Amino acid sequence: MKFKKLTALLMGVVMTASLLTGCGGSGDDSTSAPAQTDETTDAAQDSEDGDSASTEEAKTEYSDDEIIDFTCFVAMPGSEINDGNEVQEIIAKKTGVRVKETWLTGQTDAEAIGTIIAGGEYPDFINGGEAMKALYDAGALVAWDEYIEKYPNIKEMYSDEEWDKFRMDDGHIYWANVFQNKYGEDKTTTHNDEAFWVQVRVLEWAGYPEIKTLDQYFQLLEDYAAANPTMEDGTENIPYTILCEDWRYFCIENAPQFLDGYPNDGSVIVDVDNMKVVDYNTTDTAVKYFQKLNEEYNKGIVDPEFATQTYDEYIAKLSTGRVLGMCDQWWDFAYTVNDVFKQQGLDAKGCNYVPFGLTIEEGMENQWHSYGDTLNNSSGIAVTTSCSDVDAAFKFLSDCLDQEIHDLRFWGVEGVDYEVDENGLYYRTDEMRANAADTEYKASHLCSYSYFPQWLGTSKDGKNAMTPGEQPSEFMSGLAEPLVNCFNAYGVTTYVEMLGSAKVEVGPWYPMYSFSNAMTTETPGGVAWTKMGEIKHEWLPKVVMASDFQSTWEEYMSVYESADPQAFLDEMQEELERRAAAAQ
Amino acid sequence: MARKTKNQAPAMKITWKEVKRQKFLLFWAAVFVVYGVVFYYLPLGGWLMAFQNYKPKDGLLHSKFVGLDKFKFLFSDATFLKVIRNTLAMGVINLVATFVMAILFAILLNEIRSRIGKKTVQTISYLPHFLSWIIVTGILHDALSTSGIVNEILMKLNIIDQAINFFAHPSYFWPIVAFANVWKETGWNAIIYLAAITSIDPCLYEAAAIDGAGRWAKIKYITLPGIRPTIMILLLMNIGNVLNAGFEVQYLLGNGLVKSVSETIDIYVLTWGISQNDYSLGTAAGIFKSLVSIILIILANQVAKRTGEERLF
Repeated sequence: MKFKKLTALLMGVVMTASLLTGCGGSGDDSTSAPAQTDETTDAAQDSEDGDSASTEEAKTEYSDDEIIDFTCFVAMPGSEINDGNEVQEIIAKKTGVRVKETWLTGQTDAEAIGTIIAGGEYPDFINGGEAMKALYDAGALVAWDEYIEKYPNIKEMYSDEEWDKFRMDDGHIYWANVFQNKYGEDKTTTHNDEAFWVQVRVLEWAGYPEIKTLDQYFQLLEDYAAANPTMEDGTENIPYTILCEDWRYFCIENAPQFLDGYPNDGSVIVDVDNMKVVDYNTTDTAVKYFQKLNEEYNKGIVDPEFATQTYDEYIAKLSTGRVLGMCDQWWDFAYTVNDVFKQQGLDAKGCNYVPFGLTIEEGMENQWHSYGDTLNNSSGIAVTTSCSDVDAAFKFLSDCLDQEIHDLRFWGVEGVDYEVDENGLYYRTDEMRANAADTEYKASHLCSYSYFPQWLGTSKDGKNAMTPGEQPSEFMSGLAEPLVNCFNAYGVTTYVEMLGSAKVEVGPWYPMYSFSNAMTTETPGGVAWTKMGEIKHEWLPKVVMASDFQSTWEEYMSVYESADPQAFLDEMQEELERRAAAAQ
Repeated sequence: MARKTKNQAPAMKITWKEVKRQKFLLFWAAVFVVYGVVFYYLPLGGWLMAFQNYKPKDGLLHSKFVGLDKFKFLFSDATFLKVIRNTLAMGVINLVATFVMAILFAILLNEIRSRIGKKTVQTISYLPHFLSWIIVTGILHDALSTSGIVNEILMKLNIIDQAINFFAHPSYFWPIVAFANVWKETGWNAIIYLAAITSIDPCLYEAAAIDGAGRWAKIKYITLPGIRPTIMILLLMNIGNVLNAGFEVQYLLGNGLVKSVSETIDIYVLTWGISQNDYSLGTAAGIFKSLVSIILIILANQVAKRTGEERLF
């Protein structure tokens, strides 16, 4: 009894304390939030002050004994860097922390995280992909709240409203998404999301036609493949391939939402007019889209091996330059494939991919690209309860956002990986650019801690871009000639303009996938969602490969109904209403 | 009954002298009992999970009990029933295929006269056993791909005119898995039969030769009956393993198209138990698997007993 009373008392104290700090935070916010847009420069000024203080503090280099070694598991495939990586060592000396990152191999994120939870031993940092909720449920994560207040760099990542979106049902924040977060002026050049991609050489051959619909897109691929069955070296062209391995089957699965002109809510369409969720798997557009794929498959345009290829096989296939087009997310293929193109000289032959914002009918607006920051609150970086020095871990997360460290991570070492011109602008020579695309060099020299907090947009110096890919001069000189010709022909300068998405303000509920990703089998909707996924995995390729589309589609629909998708949609509808109400 | 006890009484009597004499044996026996309890019986406590709504945060002691809910979910799930079918089918196919091939291979190898030839073949044939499944499936994936060696050969021989995508047809999946198992394990499994064959008294062969038995007759009347006890014991042990039809092969070779025939109980446990964090459901499926295995092994043992064959217990 006594013990209970004591804990109750303690809890009370802690809760009032957190309430007070909570109040303090929101109080500050009410004054600063409206000013934020106008006074970005001021904010930058402030943070610069903060920075110089922290760098001064960090000027004393950490010796080898003082450096803390942390471990980090990232539930995404990645390549491990070498021990003794040069930039990693520099960062370790400056921040006092060295992080050994390990990556997902051959499993899904959920499987890997499920196994770690079952084992009960956690790395110091964890980026659990879409399985963060499971880690929270297992009580494996450390709350961020006090550290957000303590470290201004961390606090600066999001506005208070945005931070609130990360709050779990116990009122605390346990992780922060590190991506799609822009500092200062937007410098986006690359369309980092999903699109129908096509090789530049196809467009060049066809005289850079306007491609607006799915039908036009496939017509283009058909025409090109008929006229050019092979590449220069005699390798057979594959007009269109679809990746459907495991969780990456979004490449076949979610195009119907975009074709209908909706943004990437991921698991449902939100019909803004009457605020209803719509299942994009069963819309007329979905039928048309899969029927089209089916037609093209039977014509031999779609890769006959598409349904059985693994991700590695898919990337290997793309890297040969044989594949004319596909539907995919930029981050899913471009980083690897573009590097290979550069090394093999395939970029000069027009093998690079450019995106099209297709719709099902002509004259519709597309929302393939989302212009603002997409806050996916279902995933991010977290510190675990197994971490030996929690404060040092958060300090490191904060240091990651320090401009000096940030430059080291994404630009590299000055004079080695980039030069600074007389105006203070960073640039790279051809050799430096080639190095940055070289796997060997990356493993031994560069260390981007790519799943740790980071910025996009403009550097705190107000001139440069946070990452080389977004530096205008870098972006243009990094482009191969055929790509430049293509951009010129369409009168655009970036991938984003190429896509031509409508600038629509997304609703406060966006993206809905952050809710469905965190669903568990606790609820009927979660069970239905898992079953729907299993069924789609099996049936979507079947539908595409069917000799009789109509009957196979009907069979698919009857199996699909058996998973009770309505239970899932009901829960999504409820969440949509909750989010919409919370925003008001 | 009474007479029996009376008869055995002297032998059963435990005296301190006897204990002292066997102290090392008793010590080691105790060690293994402890080992068994700690590593085989205590973990069974985890079976509690199947009757709870287990949350890692609350642990085994504080999770809510839900009775047989998880089992009800399992058996009302059409996928699980399909998964049981797949597991049993692949288990039986694998068992029969690897078993028959291993015996055949051992007998054939035994007939080779050249010692060097025999040893070479044996060594090469059991090497695949040491490859991990990820490599074996990688090789299979390459060999059976549309531009792989199998399609190439079939096309060159004009047996087919268009490459077959072997992994896209559900009906090919079980044979492919069986083939993979046979390729990987035949050489290894044959070792034990070869050992059993060498223990057959050579006089029997000589006597048979004098009676005019040829190779075929020797195999049929001496070799096979000679290794029959080994075959029976191994068969019994393997029947208990039928439900362990595999995880890696199916997981690595499977894809969306063949999902309905490729998923085994283990994969089901992975997708629902681990990925969806429904550890309780995973445990329930695991318990079901263990129970069926125990029942299978007891049944097989009974059959062996009835027919007067070697048996496990």
